[in-house]
Formats: sequence, C-alpha cells, structure tokens
Amino acid sequence: MKTLKDMLAEARQVVPEQGPADLKRRLDAGEPVVVVDVRDPDEYRDGHIEDAANISRGFLEFRIGTVAPEPSTPLVLYCQTGLRSMLAGKALKDLGYQNVINLQGGFQKWAQSGLPVAKDKPLNTEQIQRYSRHFLLSQVGEKGQRKLLRSKVLLIGAGGLGSPTALYLAAAGVGTIGLMDGDVVDVSNLQRQILHNTPNVGRPKAESGAEMLRALNPDVNVIPLATRIDVDNVMDVLKDYDLVVDGSDNFDTRYLLNDACYLAGKPNIHGSIFQFEGMASVFAPNHGPCYRCLYPTPPPPGLVPS
Amino acid sequence: MLLGIGETLVGRLLTYDALGMRFREVRLRRDPKCPLCGEHPTIRDLSIHREGAAEACAAEPAGGGNGQPAAAGAPAAKAGG
Repeated sequence: MKTLKDMLAEARQVVPEQGPADLKRRLDAGEPVVVVDVRDPDEYRDGHIEDAANISRGFLEFRIGTVAPEPSTPLVLYCQTGLRSMLAGKALKDLGYQNVINLQGGFQKWAQSGLPVAKDKPLNTEQIQRYSRHFLLSQVGEKGQRKLLRSKVLLIGAGGLGSPTALYLAAAGVGTIGLMDGDVVDVSNLQRQILHNTPNVGRPKAESGAEMLRALNPDVNVIPLATRIDVDNVMDVLKDYDLVVDGSDNFDTRYLLNDACYLAGKPNIHGSIFQFEGMASVFAPNHGPCYRCLYPTPPPPGLVPS
Repeated sequence: MLLGIGETLVGRLLTYDALGMRFREVRLRRDPKCPLCGEHPTIRDLSIHREGAAEACAAEPAGGGNGQPAAAGAPAAKAGG
C-alpha cells in the first residue's frame, strides 16, 4: 500500500515548487498567473493571498475549469504548509494541466515572510444598502466592494481635481483616503473646488475636505495631511498607500511626485488642467511611461501658470 | 485600477476640450532616454529635488524642450489642478 510519503514523493516528481517571494514578483509584474487556494473556506476567510481563488481540495477537479479554462493556464496552488496543494497539483497534472506550480511552504510561509494578506470581513447591512449599485455590476460585486474597502489612495491636492476625485472615491467606499494639501479654503476656490463649502472658508483644505468626506461616507478612514508635499516627506507619506492621485497645481510638485512614485513603485494617476482643457493619464512604474517620458522639461517660467 | 477591471490609461493620454466638447486620445510610449525610467537612468533618488527646482524638473533634457512633450501630438504641459 502506498504511504502518504510515497504520494508526496510522486507528486514532487511532476509538480515544481516556487517560494513566496518569487510568486510575489510574478504577481507584481502583472503575469497572468492564476493563484488557487485549496484550503477550506473558513481557512480562506481568515486570511488568504489577495486575488487567489478558493477551490477547496474536495472540489478541485470539479471547479478548476471555472478559473482555468485552458490546459496551458499558468497555475500556482497553495494550502497552509504546501502539502495538500502538492497533492492537488499532481491531480491537476493528471487532469492535463501543463503549467502547475506549488507554493513552497504554503500560506504560512507567505504570511511569515511579511507578504500582504487579505482578510474578508463580511459587509454589514448598511454597507449592503449603501453599495447596492455596485452589486448590480458583475465586474464589481461584493468581492470588488471588499477590495475597494481594503484600498488606500493618497490624493495630492484637495483643489480643483482633488475635490471630485476625493468625493467619488469616498462615495465608492475606498477604505482609506489620504488628503494632502497645505492650503486653506479661499472663497475663490468655491467656484470649482466642490469638496469645500462656504462655512469652511479659512480652514485648512485637508481638514475641510476630511469633514465632508466623513459625512458622505463614514466607512472611509480619511487621513488629513495639512502640509505641502516636499522632498523630505514624500517617500514617507507614499509608503502607506496603494496608489497616488496627482491633483497638484505646480510643476515642481508634479516632477517630484513622478520621481517618488516611480522609485516607490506606486502608480501615479495624473490629471492636469488649464482653462478649458484637461488631460489625464496613468503613470505605472515599469508598465508604461512616466511623466518625464512625456514632458522631459517643464515650460519656461511664466509661460504656463501654476 | 483598484478593482483590476477594464482598461486603464497606462500608455494613453486622454485630453478633453471643454469648449469643443471633444475627447482625444494620444498614445504614449516609454522614452528609452528618460532619466528616470529609461534604459540608462540618472535619477536614482530624490536628491535632484534638493538642488533647486529648475534642475529637478529639467534633468537631462532629451527630445522636446520648453514644456513641449516628447510624444508627438500630445498637448503642451499643464500644471493646473
């Protein structure tokens, strides 16, 4: 009779292994790898690798087709320590899947390496009502809403561009919004900076903005940063966020933010306007151009107002 | 970007002309000569931003000058936000 040891040894012959750092690198590079968590649903709920599909070991052969329609789909399987998933990997190779890798050390090693872990807190009744329009969209659903609630976005500038951005991100349920602006609300701002209001004229924009956002959606953790971004604080501020929205109003800040976001590996959502024209792009480190690729030099002083 | 659905504006510049009520799209490419993200980067930290604004913005000018974009067809730089 075969022992468990025999079965694992047989599986190891055909299923290669990869460590958590390698998998993280592949995911960060945007590789189209499908990660499958073969543990039971309660283990998955307590903590899993973000975007991993949960197909427990018992249902593997029946449901793998829903996440991996092609035999060539690159798959990485994991369980708690790497043993269940090793046997699962062998089962998938037997089924005909060509590209199956086991995560060495499993979720335990991933978490111990300090890599990010996703936990699903069920939505409460108020949240289900508040975000009901998101649940109607198949591309969002409850899973997407939880993803939004886990997201952290930093807004540089709570002015003309930062205002609508902040309002819509908060309304959508982005869980953490950093609002960085060193200015105070001026009455001339209110013609377009709809995050603020008349009673708040004279208050720091970061505080005025935070108050509005919290009233709009109490789910959001708004972090007001009533200070200008500069070379001394930028890297420290950026590190806690997933992405950055550049709604600043001068070239020095735009170039500083561009460089800092690239060096920190954070996507930079760029927006800028002048009179009746606007433009938007996304500068994603190593996926596309940066601001300097587009504008190697700023305009001469005085030609374009800040 | 947060949900990982749809197509993002990576590699594209979306421009809007409010008077003409027109949207336009310009394809953007990484510049191999970019001092930050190109093949031979000269900017590896933020020290350039301490030396003075003029130097910081205009690191190793390549392609266009005077705020004109390196990407053909792209509009002039705007600072407003």
